[in-house]
Amino acid sequence: MSYIILPDVVHYACTCGILKPISKLYFCRHCLELRCGFCVCHEADSHYCDKCAENLPSSEARLKKNRCGNCFDCPSCHQQLSTRAATVGPKNPDDPKAAPRKVFYLLCLLCRWSSRDVGIPDQAAVSGGWPERENIYAHRLQEIQDMYKAIVLSDKQQKLDKDKKKQRRYMSFTDRTGITASMLRKRIGWPDVPNPLLKAKPTELNNKAIAKEEVEEFPEDLLTSPVNLSLATTMEQRLVQPEWQPTTIDKLFPIHKHLSVKRSQRCRSCEHNVSKPEYNPNSIKFKIQLFAYYHIPEVRIITVEPLRAGKVSELLLKFSNPTQHQTSITLFPYKVDDVIACEDNRTEVISQSSEEKGSGSQPSSITHTSLTRQPSITIKPRPIKTRVVADVVVPNASFVLPPRDDAAEYDDSGDAHNIQNDPKIVVWRKSNKAVIKLQVTPNSDLNIGDEVTTAFTIQHIYINTITTVENKEPQKCEHKVKVFLTLGNLVGGS
Amino acid sequence: MTSENNINVMPGAIVCEESKLDGDITIGSHCIIHPAAIISAEAGPIILGDFCLVEEQAKIIHRLRPEQTNNETTPVLIIGSHNVFEIGCTVEAAKIGSNNVFESKCFVSNKVNVTNGCIIGAGCKLIEEQTLKNNTIVYGSKCFQREGLDRPVTQTAQMDTLSKMLPNYHHIRRPMKKDYLN
Ligand SMILES: [Zn+2]
Ligand SMILES: [Zn+2]
Ligand SMILES: [Zn+2]
Ligand SMILES: [Zn+2]
Repeated sequence: MSYIILPDVVHYACTCGILKPISKLYFCRHCLELRCGFCVCHEADSHYCDKCAENLPSSEARLKKNRCGNCFDCPSCHQQLSTRAATVGPKNPDDPKAAPRKVFYLLCLLCRWSSRDVGIPDQAAVSGGWPERENIYAHRLQEIQDMYKAIVLSDKQQKLDKDKKKQRRYMSFTDRTGITASMLRKRIGWPDVPNPLLKAKPTELNNKAIAKEEVEEFPEDLLTSPVNLSLATTMEQRLVQPEWQPTTIDKLFPIHKHLSVKRSQRCRSCEHNVSKPEYNPNSIKFKIQLFAYYHIPEVRIITVEPLRAGKVSELLLKFSNPTQHQTSITLFPYKVDDVIACEDNRTEVISQSSEEKGSGSQPSSITHTSLTRQPSITIKPRPIKTRVVADVVVPNASFVLPPRDDAAEYDDSGDAHNIQNDPKIVVWRKSNKAVIKLQVTPNSDLNIGDEVTTAFTIQHIYINTITTVENKEPQKCEHKVKVFLTLGNLVGGS
Repeated sequence: MTSENNINVMPGAIVCEESKLDGDITIGSHCIIHPAAIISAEAGPIILGDFCLVEEQAKIIHRLRPEQTNNETTPVLIIGSHNVFEIGCTVEAAKIGSNNVFESKCFVSNKVNVTNGCIIGAGCKLIEEQTLKNNTIVYGSKCFQREGLDRPVTQTAQMDTLSKMLPNYHHIRRPMKKDYLN
């Protein structure tokens, strides 16, 4: 996903220690932690073809080698092939009444490769019935596959026989993921049915690969005849069809299109989904989308004065609150060995903090009990390696950001929120956004042209609207997140 | 329009008045020149063949290579028939045959000779000195070249529609009288 402010200069530290722009982060509402693509579990929800939008069950997808039966990719440039219609003369041209026939062929709109290039006959139906090529090694490959399957099964059987003696009481992780019918039968106490493949011992292949002493003669004409590169295929074209590996372009045949997957992402700690798409391949919507962009205040750089080593520059940052609840933001200086902050990202709000800031719009019934759900896996956060080479003076006071109001964009009547601004910090404010003035000092040992990166920690009040059995009310939490700003390069002069 | 411009429009061609035509240019019959097209005969006359389609923001520039500048004779850029110059392309090719398609935003430098039936793909840049063989197709971000089976199909239906539509909404440059030609 590209982001509307593309030079990505503002990065958030994910719980795992990777710095990412806010658009690439998830926010687990259950453990109140940032998650990124590296620290969530990815699961394939459904297989579909993104050309014909056909949805396939995963077993069928596996059977078809994860390819669509009806759609093709161009063997020359790997783009989608489109079906084109052409009219040809009637079958028997002597009959004057015969209507012209319509035939179909495949055409790549990028490189103009067409099924006619390699002599595939035109088809009479739109959907084709394009000739399938038989891999001459298919039988051999199947033989080898079967042999290995049999070995795996006999291995498993041996292990099970061993385990039969000691009664197992706990499920292992492998059982949970790949439960076989035989295991299920065993668990519910039925007698085990021997696998048909196991009846015979894993057979040896009847024709083993044998190394040959004589090799093919070296074709002289490789050295004598001029090379015509336009007839040879490229490496990509060969490797995309591993069964055939065509060396000349007249052996390029349409490739069945790869299926795509819809995948959901799961928080690794609490196993809740942070992103789950709708099942229908035509839909681009999500059932669950806990993107950080919707929960964490967004920081953007407005301006920064020219950066000079050891000199103070003024930095203007815009904070915006994406949530439907008022929040209060406090900045803390960044500490390199911030181990405690990593583990203690969420702390329960002490009751006086909300009253002090005078946030009258909050419902009074907010409870202050901490979240009860315990993470099932604890993941130690890794240290952040980015070097911070500039100091930011963070203000002592915190500032309030009103809730997001989509209608406010069109309302010029001014803000209804009655917020007392500290003019030393907040220089501008509109609806849910505020511009903050900060002082930044690059380290004095930097050289001209060095990139200046600074960091600080934001603490914001997050209203968790997830209700549990014990807690029917939304909960108020303080959440901390580290923000890294790439401010630009150091300049010289004074 | 400066007095230096010598624009000859053959009968049946549709040349929008807003199009920028500079220099000595002859436009063949049944050509269609869109309003924002630019044809610039900097180095010498341009003769555009019949049934050419020059779309919006397309630039056809006759620009000499540095080693040609001292020659005494002014070279003429002769462009064949049935060529399509798609939106935003820049074509400076030294020779252009017939039935070529210059796709959107492509660039062809003045060191390139384009023969017949070639397709220069969208965004492809041809800069080095070369002669494209008949039915060459240039495609993709790496400008791969392959040889096509046949020349690209002519855009007859598109040309017909445009020749009906454009005169309804644009001022058209008057073609030369037939008797003047004879
Ligand atoms: Zn992460
Ligand atoms: Zn498909
Ligand atoms: Zn292709
Ligand atoms: Zn979680």
